[in-house]
This record gives sequence, C-alpha cells and structure tokens, in this order.
Amino acid sequence: MSGAAATAVEAPVAAPARHRPLVVLLRRAWRQPRTKVGVVVVVLLVGTALIGPLVAPHDPAAFVGAPYSHPGSGHLLGTDNLGRDVLSRFLWGGLSILGLAAAATAIGLTLGLTVGLIAAYSRSWLDDALMRTMDVILAFPAIVLALVAIATVGPKLWLLVLAVALTTLPRVARVSRGAAVEVVERDFVQAAEALGVSRVRLLASEVLPNITSTVMVEASLRLTYAVGLIAGLSFLGFGEQPPAADWGLMINENRQGLTVQPWGVVLPVIAIALLTIGTSLIGDGLARASAGIDRGGGE
Amino acid sequence: MREDELNQIDEEARRRGISREELLKRAAIGGLALATSGGLAQAARGAIEAKPKRGGSFRVGVAGGSAKDIIDGQDIVTNPDQARLVAGWETLLNYDKNFKLRLNGLAEEISAEKNNAAVWTIRVRPGIEFHNGKTLTADDVIYSLRRLINPKLKLFGGAALSTLSASGMKKLDSRTVRLNLKAKDVTILDSLAQYVAGIVPVGYSPNAIGKATIKQQIGTGPYKLKSFTPGQQSVHVRNPNYWRTGQPYFDQVVVIDFPDDTARVNALLGGQIDAGVQIPPAQVSVVQGHSGTKILESPTAQWTPICMRVDAAPFNDVRVRQAMRLIADRPQIVAQGLAGHGHIGNDLYAPFDVMYDSDLPQRHQDIAQAKSLLKAAGQSNLTVDLQTTNGALGQNEGAQVFAQQAKAAGVTVNVKVLDSGTFYGSNYLKWTFSTDFWGTRNYLQQVASGSLPTSPYNETHWPDTADAKFKSLYKQAVSTVDPKKRADIEHEMQKLEYDNGGYIIWGFSNFLDGYSTKVKGLIKGDKGVIPLNGFANGFRTIWFG
Amino acid sequence: MSAIAARAAAVARPRGIWGFILRRILLGLVTLFLVSIVIFAATQALPGDAARAILGRNATPQSLATLRKQLNLDRPVLDQYFSWLGNFLSGNLGHSLVANEPVTSLIGKAVENSAFLMLLAGLVSVPLAILVGSVAARRRDRAFDHATSIGTLTLAALPEFVTAIALVVLFGTTVSRILPAVSLIPPDSPPWDHLEELILPVAALTLAVVPYITRIMRASMIEVLESDYVEMARLKGLDERTVLWRHALPNGIAPTIQVIALNLAYLAGGIVVVEFVFGYPGIGAEFVGAVSNRDVPTVQALAMLIAATYVVLNVFADVATILVSPRLRTSLQ
Repeated sequence: MSGAAATAVEAPVAAPARHRPLVVLLRRAWRQPRTKVGVVVVVLLVGTALIGPLVAPHDPAAFVGAPYSHPGSGHLLGTDNLGRDVLSRFLWGGLSILGLAAAATAIGLTLGLTVGLIAAYSRSWLDDALMRTMDVILAFPAIVLALVAIATVGPKLWLLVLAVALTTLPRVARVSRGAAVEVVERDFVQAAEALGVSRVRLLASEVLPNITSTVMVEASLRLTYAVGLIAGLSFLGFGEQPPAADWGLMINENRQGLTVQPWGVVLPVIAIALLTIGTSLIGDGLARASAGIDRGGGE
Repeated sequence: MREDELNQIDEEARRRGISREELLKRAAIGGLALATSGGLAQAARGAIEAKPKRGGSFRVGVAGGSAKDIIDGQDIVTNPDQARLVAGWETLLNYDKNFKLRLNGLAEEISAEKNNAAVWTIRVRPGIEFHNGKTLTADDVIYSLRRLINPKLKLFGGAALSTLSASGMKKLDSRTVRLNLKAKDVTILDSLAQYVAGIVPVGYSPNAIGKATIKQQIGTGPYKLKSFTPGQQSVHVRNPNYWRTGQPYFDQVVVIDFPDDTARVNALLGGQIDAGVQIPPAQVSVVQGHSGTKILESPTAQWTPICMRVDAAPFNDVRVRQAMRLIADRPQIVAQGLAGHGHIGNDLYAPFDVMYDSDLPQRHQDIAQAKSLLKAAGQSNLTVDLQTTNGALGQNEGAQVFAQQAKAAGVTVNVKVLDSGTFYGSNYLKWTFSTDFWGTRNYLQQVASGSLPTSPYNETHWPDTADAKFKSLYKQAVSTVDPKKRADIEHEMQKLEYDNGGYIIWGFSNFLDGYSTKVKGLIKGDKGVIPLNGFANGFRTIWFG
Repeated sequence: MSAIAARAAAVARPRGIWGFILRRILLGLVTLFLVSIVIFAATQALPGDAARAILGRNATPQSLATLRKQLNLDRPVLDQYFSWLGNFLSGNLGHSLVANEPVTSLIGKAVENSAFLMLLAGLVSVPLAILVGSVAARRRDRAFDHATSIGTLTLAALPEFVTAIALVVLFGTTVSRILPAVSLIPPDSPPWDHLEELILPVAALTLAVVPYITRIMRASMIEVLESDYVEMARLKGLDERTVLWRHALPNGIAPTIQVIALNLAYLAGGIVVVEFVFGYPGIGAEFVGAVSNRDVPTVQALAMLIAATYVVLNVFADVATILVSPRLRTSLQ
C-alpha cells in the first residue's frame, strides 16, 4: 500500500526529469570547444555535399580538358583521369557517401537498440541467444563481413547499406543493453512493471529516455565508422560505380595521376578525413558531457 | 657468290616484291658491287654489326600477370605470357615494321600452287637448331601445326587456322612440308605469322598447355628458359646457337610481372627495370621528363569497340546503329579516353591492311542526323545499358566518354563496369550493348575471328539478314589469290560494314612503352601487334649502348 | 557466507582460472564454427552458378555437368558445407576458380607476407603507444597531453585507407618522394629483404591502432601514478625514474593487455585495405582480388583465415587479461 503510494508520488516527479537529460546533455556537450569545432566541420561538409551540386561550375560528367591537367582556367583544381573537372566532381561527390552512411547508421541504430533493449529487459535465454548472435557478427572484422556479402551478390548500394548496418548492429546492441540493464534494475521501472504497464511501453517511455546519452555517444561513433567503411568500400570499387561522382571512388580513380595531378585524390581525402574527425569530435564531446551527467547524478 | 648471300638477295627481292633478276639489275645500276663476294649482303651485314654490343641482363616490366601466367610456345593466357613466348619461340614468317608480311622467320619459302590457294608449300631454312641442339625439320613443322589446331587444346593461335587439316599435312623432304587446306585460304599466311604460332619440336607438351617443365620448354628462339615463377618473373638466358649470327646481344632477359601500373613506372624511373611496357597515359610526361628514361610511342591497329548486337532490339534497326555511330565524337573520345595517344577510327578495323579502304569518308559527329534517324526508328529517347570491363586501355574510358556524348542526342547510356569474371562469364557475346578489345590484325583474319557466324568472338552477331551477302563475299575473298581482284571484294565487304555494321570503332590506341636511354635498337613508328617493337623481336634487336 | 568472503576463499583455488580459460577457448571454437557457417551460407547464396562462372565463354552443357560434379555442386548443401569444413581443417583450402589451382599454393607466400606485416606493425605500435601514453599520463593536462589527446582522437577517427593514402601523398608521390609508394615484393624473396617498401604500410597500420592503445595506456597510467603503491614507492625515497620504470609501468601495462590484443586482432581486418593501397602481396590484397573476381572458394578460405585470426587473437586477449591481472582473477572465483 505504502509502496504504491510512494510510487504514485514518485511518478509525476520522475516525468519532467525524463526529458531533461537529453537537453542537458546537448547543452553540456556544446559548451566544450571540441564539440563546437566538430559541429562546424560537419556542418561545413554536409553543406558542401548538399549545396555542392547547385554551385558546381561544371556538370560532373562533362569533359573540360585533357586528362590529369593541372589547375587552370575552366578547371580550378585540375582535371581527373578522363578530363573532367575535379572541383565539380568533388562538389557532387559527398551526397552518396553521406546518404549511405546515414542510412546504414540509422538502420543499425534502430535494429541495435531494439535488440539491446529486448535483451536487457528479458534477462532470460533470449538475452543470451541475442547476445551470442551479436558475438558471432562481432567475430568478423567489419570489412570482411561486408566484402563476403559483396562477393556473392555483387556491388549493389542497398547491399552496402545493409552490410554496414549489420556491422553496426551488434556494437549498438551491446552498448544499449549494457546501459539498459542498469536502468531496468532501477526501482521505478520495477514499480511500473508491477503496476502492469506493458513491456513495450515501459521500454519506450522509461528505459529508452534514460539511456539516451549513451546511445547518442554510440550513434556518433557508429556514424564516424560508417562513413569510413562506406568510403573505404567505395574506394575498393564496391560502392558507387563510374561515372558517378563519389569521394571514395574518386580517390581510387585518380590514384594513377598522383604524381602528376594530386587534387583528384587530395580533395576527397581531406573531405572524408574532416568529416570523420568532425563526427568523432562531436561524439567525444557528447561522451564527456554524459560522463559529467552520470557523475553529477542529473540536474 | 655464296649460297647464303644468294638467299639474302632472294629475301630482299621478295621483300620488295620483285624478282631476283630485277633486284640484281637495280643494284648494278645503283652502283652496288655484287660480282665480288657478296657486296649487298656484306653492306647489310656491316650495317648491322657496327653498333650492337654484347652483354648485360635486360629487365623488362610487363603489365598484368597473375598466378594464371603460363609459358607455352603456342599459347598465351595473360598479358606477360606474350613476352615469354617471343623470347623462346619463333614463327615461320613475320610482319615487318609496316605490318607487311615478310619471310623473315624460320621459313625460307612459303608459296601457293599457281593460283590455288588451297595447296601450300613450306620450306624451312637449313641448320636451325632448337635449344636442345636438335635440328629443325619438316617433322617439327607438322607437329607444331597439328598441335596448333588440336581441338582438345583450344590454343589461341589455332582459331585462325581453321582451314588447316591435320591429315592434309605431308612431309615432302627433311625441310619441306606440303599443306592441303580444307578450302582455299589466302589468309593462311597471316595466320602462320601470328606470334602465337610458334614452331615447337616434336613431342612438345602434346596434351596440355603451359605444363611443360623448364627442361621441356624448347624452341628456336633467341633465349632459353632458365626459370619461371607464375605471377612474378621469368629468366631467359642467351641461346648461343641462335641461327641469326650475332644475335641476340643480352646475356639474359628477365621478364617481371607488374600488375600495378604505378609500381611499373616507379621501377622504370628507379632503374630497377630497363623497360616498362604499357605506361599509363597519365605517366607519359613523367617518364619522358625523367632523365635516363624515354617513351616509345608506336601506332597500332588495336581497337576497343563499342559493340551493338545487330539481331537484338533496339539495334536490330539499322537506323539506330547508324545513329549511334553518328553520336560518337571520335577526336574527343581519343582526347579524353586515351589522353590523345591514339588515332581516330572510321568504324572499320584493320587500318594497317593494304586493302583498308581509306576512300570511305571519315565519319564525324552529327547529332542532328543522329536524332532524326532515331526519330524515324521510333527511338527518340532511347535508354540502354552498356556493359564494359577494365580489359584494355580505352575500353572503359571509351564507353564513358561515349555515354557522355550520347546525352546530346537524347540517348541515355548507363555504363555498367563489370568485373572481368562477370563480363567474360556466361553473358559474354550475348550482351546487347557492350565493349571489347582486339589486337592488331589484317582484315580477312579479323573477319574470321569476329565478323562471321562461325567466328569464335562475334559480339555483334553480324551479319544481319539484310547483309547476309557478307558471308559469301568472305568465302570468295579467301580463295582469291589475285590481290587486285581480292581488293575489290574486300572493299565491298568493308562498305557493308561501314554502312550497316554493329561496331562503333572510334579509334586505335598507341603503344606507350618506357625504356632506359641505355637501351639501343628500338625503332620508332613500328606498327606492331605486341609492345616494344614486338618485345624487340624476341629481345634480339636491342642492346645496351 | 557473504559474496566477498566466498570470493576470498576462492583465491586459493587455481582451478577456477583454468576453468575460465578452457571455457573461453571453447567459446572461441564455437564462435569459429558459427563464423564458418555464416561464411559458407553467404557465399553459397550465389544468384548464378559457380560452374558457369568458371567456364564462361567455353561452357557447353557437357562441360558444365562435369565441372559441377567436380565442384560437388550437385550434392545437398549440408553435405557441401561439411566437406568444405573438413577440407579446410585438414589444410585443403579449396580450388581457386580464377587461378585454377589450389588456394593453398596461391596464398602460401601471401600468408607469410601478411603475418610479417602484422608482426612489424605490432612491434612498432605497441611500444610506441605505451611510451606516448605514459608520457601523456605523466604530463597530464599539459601541452603534450593535450596534443596527444587531439592526435589520438583524430587518428582514431580516420578510416585506414585515408591514413594510407595520406601517407602515400606525403611521402611517396606528391609532397615528397622519399619512400616507395607501392610495396610489391617479388615472390621468391622474403618480405624482410624489402624493409623500405614496408615502411609506409606499417606506418598506416600503426597509425590505425596506436590511438586506442595510447588512450588506454594513459588512463591506466594515470590511475597507477595516483595509486597507493606508487605513493609508497616514492615515500620510500626511490628516485622518480625507478618509480616509473620499475613500479608504475609494469602495473600500468597490465590493464592494457586486452586492448593491445584487441587492436592486434583489428590489424587482421586492417590489412585488407592497407595491402590494397600499397599493392602489398598479402592475403588482404588477395582477398580484395578474389571478391572482385567473385572467386568464391578463395573468398571463403581467406574470409575464414582472417576471421579465425581475429577470433584467436580475441580469445588470447581475454585469456591474457585474466592471467595478467590479479584483481580480475579473483573476481572470477
């Protein structure tokens, strides 16, 4: 009786606190200079990828000079292996990598969260089975798993997204399970369960918001890594196919001309490097902020 | 006058297409003393022997290569196999630097019976030895030809020798063979001159390709095989009993695989190799500008066409084919796809053939005409997939540049770059719209290889019913010995292909070979089939200077 | 009995550790088995037909049938799996479709090359990371520490192929040309005869794993430097150097063993891209080639090899951690 009353009293107090961690987290993260730098860099690059096609001086497939020409009028950063404008192709080339990486991360996150939450909550044989499955996926170096899939079906973009999502999934599952387990054991969740609240609702409304900070950190880590993997697979020739303008593909296509005209390689390399560093800085800022929250016990 | 000098004069006469008497007459007029012991021959010999120096180990880097490399006197699988073949084996006759047939090989005579192109006599030179000391005889020639056409082995050179029959080969004497072909065939000379038609000794690897041991790799060529690691390198040592006196000059030749172009260029620049073939166009200026290395650029008749199937929609409508050919801006494809290192084509192959019809007007891009043709055929906003693979220089590049040009005519070409396994897999020769690559050949030979229903590699499935006449014209041509009459027939065949064919032949790429300035003897402007002057005719016409 | 007491009592029982190790190894074997199933299943889901892919333009109905029989394609899938697995375990890695020869002869030298590359990378990265991490811990919150922090963050974020290409641009082709941009090792000579060609690939791999090891080392050293143990050593009057080298460092390294081993395991996957960039003839490059050519048997064999290396090193990581760290040992029992 008194327990129920206590819970009844607690619940409304808990409700407003539920939404604050996310905002608090973001605010704390933003206060750090590294997060600011990360956000600026990422915004710049995403902007380039999104707006690039609108401001590109040439059609990315148009020929503007002899192959591997040095920078000159008409081709500010020189031409590529077929004589197309490097700058234009660069401006067009970020969309696919960003899009694919974002899609893969989103899918991986969603699936991983689901698996992690279910595992954390059920704490039974299901938990074990799910986590063992995650272990099997984790037993492969990510790139090997993706390549094995590609070896069978061929370089298809949807396969790329699925493969990268698959490698993202277990890591997200592990982390979210770890964080969720802690929350699941807390009193207010036990209480809600005792009250007969459905599991799904519990997961969604009680557990999920409380593992937000962990998930956000993991999300940015996974995004960094998805960008790297997708760009890497494109570079190996298994992503976007010619004549598409794609940063990873550009790097490989123009490698032959490195001694003559480096921009076709250097520009996309710098872009990918900055993008991954940017997302990583954001992730680091979030991680520090969330560590602060945990220690501080919430505000 | 000595016998061998007489032979040389005969050869010289034959090369010029005149009789021995005529040559001697002209030489006398020209002031060359022939009465004394071999004036002409001596002058020639003198010119050759003045400069070359003996010695050294020549290291050449070749493109591609893998664990699939083989060494066989009559077959190649990968790119590097070419260099290894010509080092150790030779053919009955050759092509000269202008891609004209020349009796400069193992045979001293190859002739048809008077106007009967179905019966040929071959006589090999005397005293030629194989690497194991055995003398070359008619038995070896018969064995070699039989092996080339052995259906179980499916050798690369055998496809062109379809008129040879194993039972029709007769030994007339120790050096002479009579060939009774299945049908009249003037192209037999071209087929025997292919570098893959090497002459091997009796008993050479009868049942398999590339499985012979080092000891069994016997040929007549300037170098003997010493060691071989597939995918990596081979070492060939000088043949001290080589029949051309004085040659070869190097003590040994090392052929090294370089699947990576950058590595090959770097090795050349760094002095680890003395020559590197097939330098990528991007690196030409680097090699040329580097002190100690130079580029040898040679014209070829090798082509990477875009192939349209004449029996499949939409290309079964000849207007669509003609429209596609008018879309091609050939100079631009050469400029962008080959970085300018090539010359434009006119939708006809075999430009080195004397019978190539250069009177047919050069096609230019004509988008307006292309559009109207497409409209008439009801294909105004055509969309097609173009299957290609990274097979040879210009193959992918040509496809991509063409696809870009097609946009102007409202045609959408989706270039699909496939891995070679898929491209050359079960759908090869069935793709509606694809690319391919071909080496340098003469016209009738090429027709046999790719433009007849019986051809092994007919990508376009030419001829269509409307042009069925092409087949009978071919039969006529191969049995016509008289060159003037044959020219007319070949021109008629070319006109059919020029008007209605399925190939878009936009150009021919040049060989770009890098070499160290120490290497002497390379000829400029050599019209060859394989790079570096045919690997310097088996590495025997170059030396370190 | 309270949990703590139970644990304390258990300290004297060595069987517990070995039991754990045994279980961990068994788990590793089970994982490997499952990995093999995944690899086999994934590659057998071919939309085409392996026999067609091999014969290509030379395919006739008869030759297809013969080849299918040779490749066991006419037997049930489970049969095929077990015969593949059995072969693999007995050293027969299958027959390459493209090279038309046994995979073992194809990759023999490649395995040696890759092993040497990974070994070198490990030998360079581990001491380097331990050193940098320790120094950063010592100079906590000062310039060196901040620089290291930014550096490790940056390097950890970069994909390996970006690091590798950047190294090529900086040292091989564009900014300077002091090191070879390509690392082709001839087949008949061992990789250790070509150390110059190995510098950049080793550097690329090192830069991929150093950040993680450095970070954990730094964290671990910070803890150790603040521990009672070190405090006591200092109070005893030992000079700083001895304190660091003899007392702090050994204790600092122990907790990092797991991360070190995990990162060495990571190298097994890292070589795929790095070898491709430099043209280094190892199993990573072979693997990419096999994928490009859809050479299924080679893909299966190499994926299995790389994954097995990864799993083994992971098991080793866990086992080594337990053996090395007394605290963790006790908590096990």
